[in-house]
Amino acid sequence: MQVKYESQLREPLIYGKKTYHDLTEDIIRPIEAKPTRLWYIGFFVAVALLCFGIFSVYRDVTYGIGQWNLNKSVGWGWDITNFVWWVGIGHAGTLISAILLLFRQGWRTGVNRAAEAMTIFAVMCAGQFPVWHMGRVWMGFFVLPYINTRGPVWPNFNSPLLWDVFAISTYLTVSLLFWYSGLIPDMATVRDRAKTKFRKFFYGITSFGWTGSAKHWQRHEALSLVLAGLSTPLVLSVHTIVSFDFATSVVPGWHSTIFPPYFVAGAIFSGFAMVQTLMLVVRKVFALEDYITIGHIEAMNKVIILTGSIVGVAYCTELFIAYYSQNKYEQYYFGFSSGNLFSPYGWVFYSLMFCNVIAPQIFWFRKMRRNIYVTFFLSIIINCGMWFERFWIIVPALFRDYLPSSWSVYYAPTIWEIGFYLGTFGLFFTCFFLFAKYFPIIALFEVKHILKTTGESYKDQVTNIEEEAVEKFAQENLHHH
Amino acid sequence: MKKKKFVVLPFQEEAKLFDAVKMAKEDGYKIHDVYTPFPVHGLDKALGLKESSLHKAGFYYGLTGLSVAFFYIGWIFNFDWPHNYGGKPHFSFPAWIPIMFELTVLFSAVGMTYTFCWLCKIAPGVKKHHFHPRATDDLLVLVIECTAHTNAEEVESKFKKNGAIDTSIQYAEIGWWWGTYNDDTIPFTKDNSSIVVA
Amino acid sequence: MIALREKFKIPKKLKAIAALLLIIGILTILSGFFTKGLSTDNAVSAQFWGVLMYNTIFWTLICNASMFFVCFTTLAMGGWQASFRRVPEAISCMVPIFGVLTFLILFYVVAIDHNYHIYGWLNTDVVQHDEVLKGKQGFLNVKFYLIWTVLTLALWSLLGWRMRVLSSEADKGPLLGEKGKKYIWKNTVTASLFVVWFALTVGSTVPWFWMMSIDPHWYSSMYSWYTFASSFVSGLSLIALWVVYLKNNNYLELTNQEHLHDLGKFIFAFSIFWTYLWFAQFMLIWYANIPDEVVYFKHRMQGAYRGIFFLNLIINFVFPILLLMSNDSKRKYNWIAFMATFIILGHWMDFYQMVMGSLSKQEVSLSWFDFGVLAFFVGVMIYGVAFALTKKPLIAKYNPFLKESVIHHS
Repeated sequence: MQVKYESQLREPLIYGKKTYHDLTEDIIRPIEAKPTRLWYIGFFVAVALLCFGIFSVYRDVTYGIGQWNLNKSVGWGWDITNFVWWVGIGHAGTLISAILLLFRQGWRTGVNRAAEAMTIFAVMCAGQFPVWHMGRVWMGFFVLPYINTRGPVWPNFNSPLLWDVFAISTYLTVSLLFWYSGLIPDMATVRDRAKTKFRKFFYGITSFGWTGSAKHWQRHEALSLVLAGLSTPLVLSVHTIVSFDFATSVVPGWHSTIFPPYFVAGAIFSGFAMVQTLMLVVRKVFALEDYITIGHIEAMNKVIILTGSIVGVAYCTELFIAYYSQNKYEQYYFGFSSGNLFSPYGWVFYSLMFCNVIAPQIFWFRKMRRNIYVTFFLSIIINCGMWFERFWIIVPALFRDYLPSSWSVYYAPTIWEIGFYLGTFGLFFTCFFLFAKYFPIIALFEVKHILKTTGESYKDQVTNIEEEAVEKFAQENLHHH
Repeated sequence: MKKKKFVVLPFQEEAKLFDAVKMAKEDGYKIHDVYTPFPVHGLDKALGLKESSLHKAGFYYGLTGLSVAFFYIGWIFNFDWPHNYGGKPHFSFPAWIPIMFELTVLFSAVGMTYTFCWLCKIAPGVKKHHFHPRATDDLLVLVIECTAHTNAEEVESKFKKNGAIDTSIQYAEIGWWWGTYNDDTIPFTKDNSSIVVA
Repeated sequence: MIALREKFKIPKKLKAIAALLLIIGILTILSGFFTKGLSTDNAVSAQFWGVLMYNTIFWTLICNASMFFVCFTTLAMGGWQASFRRVPEAISCMVPIFGVLTFLILFYVVAIDHNYHIYGWLNTDVVQHDEVLKGKQGFLNVKFYLIWTVLTLALWSLLGWRMRVLSSEADKGPLLGEKGKKYIWKNTVTASLFVVWFALTVGSTVPWFWMMSIDPHWYSSMYSWYTFASSFVSGLSLIALWVVYLKNNNYLELTNQEHLHDLGKFIFAFSIFWTYLWFAQFMLIWYANIPDEVVYFKHRMQGAYRGIFFLNLIINFVFPILLLMSNDSKRKYNWIAFMATFIILGHWMDFYQMVMGSLSKQEVSLSWFDFGVLAFFVGVMIYGVAFALTKKPLIAKYNPFLKESVIHHS
C-alpha cells in the first residue's frame, strides 16, 4: 500500500477531525433533512421565473419572433448573446472535472459535482435560445440529417450552425454521462442508509444496484479517466464551434482567427465566476465550509485571474490586429475614427473591459483571493462582464451595416426577450435547487479517497515523514514500483 | 440462483485490508470480492485483477463514430445530393472536421458508458445482494467464498484477530435481479458506538 | 538509504557528439556565408539570413519554454516535477546565449542589411507608396523593433536567472514550515512575473515582430498563440529528451516511469493543442476565403510547399496522436526519446515553413545548409545544457515537494 503523504506546506482540503463516516453524515445531511424555508422561497422564485419564461416562449411561438426587437440589420440580439453566455457558463464544470482530473488537482473534489450539475443545467438553458429562435420551432427536426422524402433535403454540413447542433448535443450527452457515472456510487451510499420509502425507492433505482466491488471500481476509474480525456478536447471544441458561428463569416469584428481559443478562455472564465457565485452560497447554506474551504475558493480565483488575463490579452490582440491590418472595416468596428467605441454601444465595451480585464486584477493579491465577500462581488461582476462581451461581439458588429442607409436604429430588447432570459434563470435555478435537495452536492467517494492524504487531522501525522531525509524516504517507498 | 456461503470481513483501515488480502491469498482462500466505499489505490493489483480494457473499447467506438461521420457526410455531399455551398468544393473536408470530431467523442463516450454498465451489470432497478450496508459508507469489506475445504468459523476468528470488525457468515445469492430496496436493514438505527472509527 | 548521484559529469561520448555537431555547424555556416551570404542574388542571400533567423528563434523559444514549464508548474503548486526540475532549469540557461545570437542576427537583419532581405517593411521606398504599410509604421519601425527585442530577451534571461537562483535555496537545508512557505512565496512571485512577461511577449508581440511581419500585409490574430504552442510542445520534448538521457546514464534516481508518463501526456496533449490552433487558424482563413488572408496558405497548401504543409500535420499531429495514445507507449524511455526527437524536428520544420515559406515562395529551399545550421544549434545546446547540469546538484534535495514527487503515480 502506498504511503499517505502530502507536503504539509499545502493547505488541507478537508478541515476538522473527520472519519469516513463523518464525511457521509456531513454530505448526505442536506438530502435527509427537511428543506429550509430559504430553500422553499428560492425554489418558488425560480419556478415563478420559469413560468414567466415559458409564457414568453409561448408568445414567441404564437406570434413569431417578430415580437422581439430584432430587425435589419440586427438579426441576432439578446437571444444569441444569452445562448453564448450560458454555453460559456456550462464550461467550468467539465473543466473542473475533466481537465483538473487529468492534472490531478486535489481541490477539484470539493466542487466538481456541483460544477458538473451546473454545466448540465447551463447547457440546457443555452439550448433553448437557438431552438426558440427558429421561430417555426415545429420544423426543428429539419436539422437532423436523416434519410428523408423531402427532396431529399439535407442540412448543410458546412454550416457552423449545424456544427453547433452536433456540438451542443454531444456536450450535453457526454456531460450527463460523466456527471451521472460519478453520481452512481454516491447514490448507493444514500440508498444504503435510506429510511423512508421514497428514498429507498428513488435511490434504489438511481444507484443502478452499485455495490462497490473492486472490479467495478477499477472499471469506474478507467471510465472516468477516458471520459475526462474525451471531455477535455470536447469542452474546447464546443466553444470553438460557437466561435465559428461568428468567425467563419466575413463580418468585421467577427472574422478573427484568435476567436476559438479566446472564446474557450472566456467560457472557462465566466464558468468559474458562476461556480464561485453558487458555491459561496452552497457552502454557507449547507454548512460545508470544511469541504469547500477558503483554499478551494483561492484556487478558483487563481483560475479566474489566469483566464481573465488570457481574455485580456485576446482583447488587446484583437484591437492591435485591427490597427495592424489597416483594414478599414475592422478599424471601424473597433472604433478607430468614430466607430463603435463612440457609438451608442460604446458603454458596453467600456463595461466589459472594466468587468473582465481590470476588475479581476484585484485577485493578484492573496488577501483578496481569500476574501469571501470580494470573491462573491467579483463573481457577479464577471458574470455581467462576460454577458457584455458577447453582446459587444454580436450587436455592434451588426447594427451599422456597410451602407449607412441600412443602419439600424438602437436595438433594445422587448419585455419578451428579457422574459425569455429570465425564464432560463428560472430553469437553471429550479434544476439547481432540486439537485441540491436530492443529490449529494459533493462527490462523496472522491472526498473520501483524498481524506487521509489531505485531511487536516491526517496531515498533522506526517511530520516525521516531512522531516525525514529524502534518501531514506525514497528507500522506504520506491520499491513499490 | 444458487445460494452460496460467504464469510464477510469488514475492515476500517486500508492497511489492514491489504494485509488481509495478502493473508487470504497466501492461505489459499477463495476471495469472492472486496467492497469499498471509494476506489482503493492498488487494490486491483493486490487482488490480481487484470487491467480493464474499457479504454480500448472506447477507442474502437470512437473510430466507428469518426467513420460514420466521414462516410455519411461524404456520401451525402458527393453522391446523394451534390450541392454548391458558397463555391466550396463538394469534398470540403476541413468543414467536416467539427462534426467528425463530435461524433467520435459521442460514440466513444456513449459506447463506453453502456459497456461499463453492461460489464458491471448495473442499470436502473437492478438489485444485488449487499454483504454489509456500510460497504458504501466507511468499511472496506473483504468477502471470502466458502468452498468445501473452508472452515468459515475459523476464517472469521482468524481475520478478527487481524482487525476485521462486525464480521458475519452469510448465505447469499450472487448475481443480480430486478428488485427494490424496501426490505433492507437500516444500518445506523442500531447503536454503533462500540465500533471505534480511526 | 538510496545514494543519490548529485553531480553530473559530462560523458566523453556526449562531448564528442557535441563537438562534431559544432564543427559541422560552423563549417556549414562559413561555407554558407561564402556561397549564399555573399551572393549578389538577393533570393540566395535572403536564404542565408532566413535560415539563421528561424533556427535561432526556434531554439531561443524552445529553451525559454523550459522556463515557462518551471514557472507554470510552480504557480500550479505542482509536486510531480520536483524530481527532475533541475533539467528544465538547465535548459533555460541557454536563453541568454541563444538570446544574444538572436539579437545579433535580428540586429543585422533590421539595422544593417540594406537589401531588406527579410523584412519588406524596412524599405522606405516601398512603404512610401503603400498606404497599408505606411499605416503600420507606428508598430513596424526599427527603433521599436530593436528596443522590444532587447527588452524581451533581457527580461526572459533575467527572470529565468532569478528563478534558478531561488531554486538553489533548495540545496542548502530543509525548507519546513514557515521557511518552506517563504520559499514557495518567493518562487510564486518571480514565476508569475515571468508568466506575465511571457504572455506579453511570446503570447502576443514577439511573434508578430519577428515572424509575422515577414509577410507585412498578411495578419492573423492567432499567430502568436500558434507560435507559442509550437515552441512549447517542442520545449516539452526537449525536457523529456534530457530526462531520458540522464536516466539512461543512471542519474535522476528519483525520477521514474511515472514522471515520464506525465511528461508524455503533456507532449501528447500539447501536440493536440497545437493541432487545434493550427486547425482553427487554417480553417477560418480557408472558410472565409478573404484574399488578404489566403495569400498565406495559397502557396503553402497548393504551391511548392504542399509536401511540407502535409508533412507538418503528419509529424506533429498524426504521429503523436497515434503513437503516444496508449499508456504503455508513454512509459518507455527510448520510445519517448524517439518521439521527442521526431516532434522537435517536426516543429523545427514548422518554423522553417513559417519563415522560409514567406521568403522563398516559389520553391522549397530546404537544403544541406538548413541541416548544417541545425547541427550548430543542437551542438551549442548540448554543450550548454550539459555544462549547466554540472553546475548544480541534479536533485534539489530539500525541495518541499520532492517527496510527493518520489511517490508520484501517474
